[in-house]
Amino acid sequence: MGTRRRDHVKLKMRKGKEAGIFAVFIAISLVIAISSPVFLRIDNLFDLIKSNIVLGIMAIAMLPIILTGGIDVSVASIIAAVTVVIGNFMIGVSSNIFLVFVVGCASGVALGLINGLLIAKLKIPPIVATLGTMSIIIGVVLYLTNGTWITGIPKNFIEYGRTDIFVLAAREGEPIGLPIQFAFFVGAAVLMWFVLRYTLVGRGVYAMGGSVVSAERIGYDLDKITIFIYALEGFLVGLAGTVHTSIMRQVDPGAFNGFELQVIAAVVLGGASVLGGYGSVFGTIMGVALFSVLNNGLILMHIPVFWQKIVVGTVLIASISVDILQKRYSENRMTRVDIEQIEG
Amino acid sequence: MISNSLSSFIKRKEFILLVIFAFVFALMSVLAPGKFLRPYNIQSMAFQLPEFGILAIAMMVVIVSGGINLSITYTATLSSIVGAVAIVAMNQAGAADWEAILAGVVIALAIGLACGAINGFVVAYVGVTPMLVTLGTMTLFEGVSLNITKGGAISGFPDAFLWFGNEAVLGVPVPMILFLLVVLASWYLLGRSRFGFSVYMIGCNPRATMFSGINVKKVLFSVYLFSALLCAISGLIMSSRYNSAKESYGSSYLLQSLAAAVLGGTDIAGGHGSLSGTILAVMILQVISSGTNIIGVNRYLTNIIMGAILIFVLALNFLSSRREIRKI
Repeated sequence: MGTRRRDHVKLKMRKGKEAGIFAVFIAISLVIAISSPVFLRIDNLFDLIKSNIVLGIMAIAMLPIILTGGIDVSVASIIAAVTVVIGNFMIGVSSNIFLVFVVGCASGVALGLINGLLIAKLKIPPIVATLGTMSIIIGVVLYLTNGTWITGIPKNFIEYGRTDIFVLAAREGEPIGLPIQFAFFVGAAVLMWFVLRYTLVGRGVYAMGGSVVSAERIGYDLDKITIFIYALEGFLVGLAGTVHTSIMRQVDPGAFNGFELQVIAAVVLGGASVLGGYGSVFGTIMGVALFSVLNNGLILMHIPVFWQKIVVGTVLIASISVDILQKRYSENRMTRVDIEQIEG
Repeated sequence: MISNSLSSFIKRKEFILLVIFAFVFALMSVLAPGKFLRPYNIQSMAFQLPEFGILAIAMMVVIVSGGINLSITYTATLSSIVGAVAIVAMNQAGAADWEAILAGVVIALAIGLACGAINGFVVAYVGVTPMLVTLGTMTLFEGVSLNITKGGAISGFPDAFLWFGNEAVLGVPVPMILFLLVVLASWYLLGRSRFGFSVYMIGCNPRATMFSGINVKKVLFSVYLFSALLCAISGLIMSSRYNSAKESYGSSYLLQSLAAAVLGGTDIAGGHGSLSGTILAVMILQVISSGTNIIGVNRYLTNIIMGAILIFVLALNFLSSRREIRKI
């Protein structure tokens, strides 16, 4: 009876976590909307979405890794590598849209597999393994490209990147519509949601994050799960790289310097526990939304760019601290309830 | 007896690191004949190593306690920036050089301690995962630094301030002397004091440590204070060496410090790690970066080499530990 009740309370509490993030998101949006009328304008919102799709896809890619209690600091170098690969592929081989996506995702998977194998087979701790691959991958990328931009992306790919799913209005001749890239973001989110919720691997991810020993005893093949999620991450980062190129219409190998920390911050802001075992796709999307609204709002409110990092850092620390304190408070209350039951 | 202790020394990680260091050093001397071994180069390495070495120790101490400190470089630059502002302001107000420098150094160390106190408080008393806390403070400190410098660099120190980073006493660079002092203090704190013992215990098992009557929160808090103090010292050396203070100085040291700590045998899960191993790893990385620089290897290739060494050593660790388990 006691345990069932506790499970129920725990479940409710966890549902409350996403709701809390959502509430903060709405509150911040309201503050920004009131102080800057531009914020809620449809073109600003679409711009906001467009400029955060890549962060969104990468955060979704990172989610299962954080769920297992791992971390990947090499994502930024992987996406840099992918953009360079597809940039050269488009110019040198073929600019067939489908082929470009296949090549982008495949190169992402290949790099992700390396991480997965190092972590699963050689038992190198994730942060160290990905730190090593990060410096190798970004080293190779910068060595081969010398840091120079790749321009002259074929026309058809650029045209494709400009496509809108639907167009709402036009301002100064420029159509305002939901960019095609949004479809990939939705696709990535649905894919991850499905994998985490309805597949054996997905359940294994949560089991592993909860307790590695228990997961192994139930019979999950932890090595396979680990390799799978890093490959899946590579796949999605490959997708993000291709999407990024379609938005930017050029390749800058140095564009993602330090991006890994933003991705991790967004996932964590979305309520995923770095100790593993808890987090959801919805929460991650909320985290990305919160992150992007904060950045956008600060710009719209004409707050000097130097303040942005202070605000983001403070929000990050405050949100996690509140979360921990809340958990501790409710745990305290639960033990009190248990004691009362025993005494009664 | 002697052969026994010798064979146990050979089996230790430090010995492997020493061999790697000797190998890398010899390799560089051969690849850059007449250049690498020049006194000038040895001395310039001795000037460059301390700032990185101190940061690596700052990282290693926290990792031993079971955490990680991603804010080391920005703690270093934030404290040096505030110190620099104080020095420049006092200098302009007409204070004597030594007064301005003394005030600047004290303020920089105090700011460092304040940064450490924020990290330590949230980690130890609120109970948030160290990686997240320091990820947040890293962004926060960078933001505060940027807010002070507005993206530029702060300069205009009195010449005497440059002594810390550029002069030598009896041929030994001042930064190196500071580094040795830091090493000595860390060696005492980690290896010879109650505090150090508790740090290792917490890294192994915080709960058991708590039950054995140690104030875990207080020790953890102090670990972050100590780490931040080292960062502030490193920041001062950097600002003296570059004759200015800027938020991006030393930002590449973050991942390198982590690499050095891990390469030096520190267990990323906490509880294990040695000062000598970390210092040896720092020396290896320094020799590689200076050596490849002299030979004229593309600096991106140096990145690749560093990453490869990191993975290689860890893979080797894993394979050798598996062989030992099989033997048992």
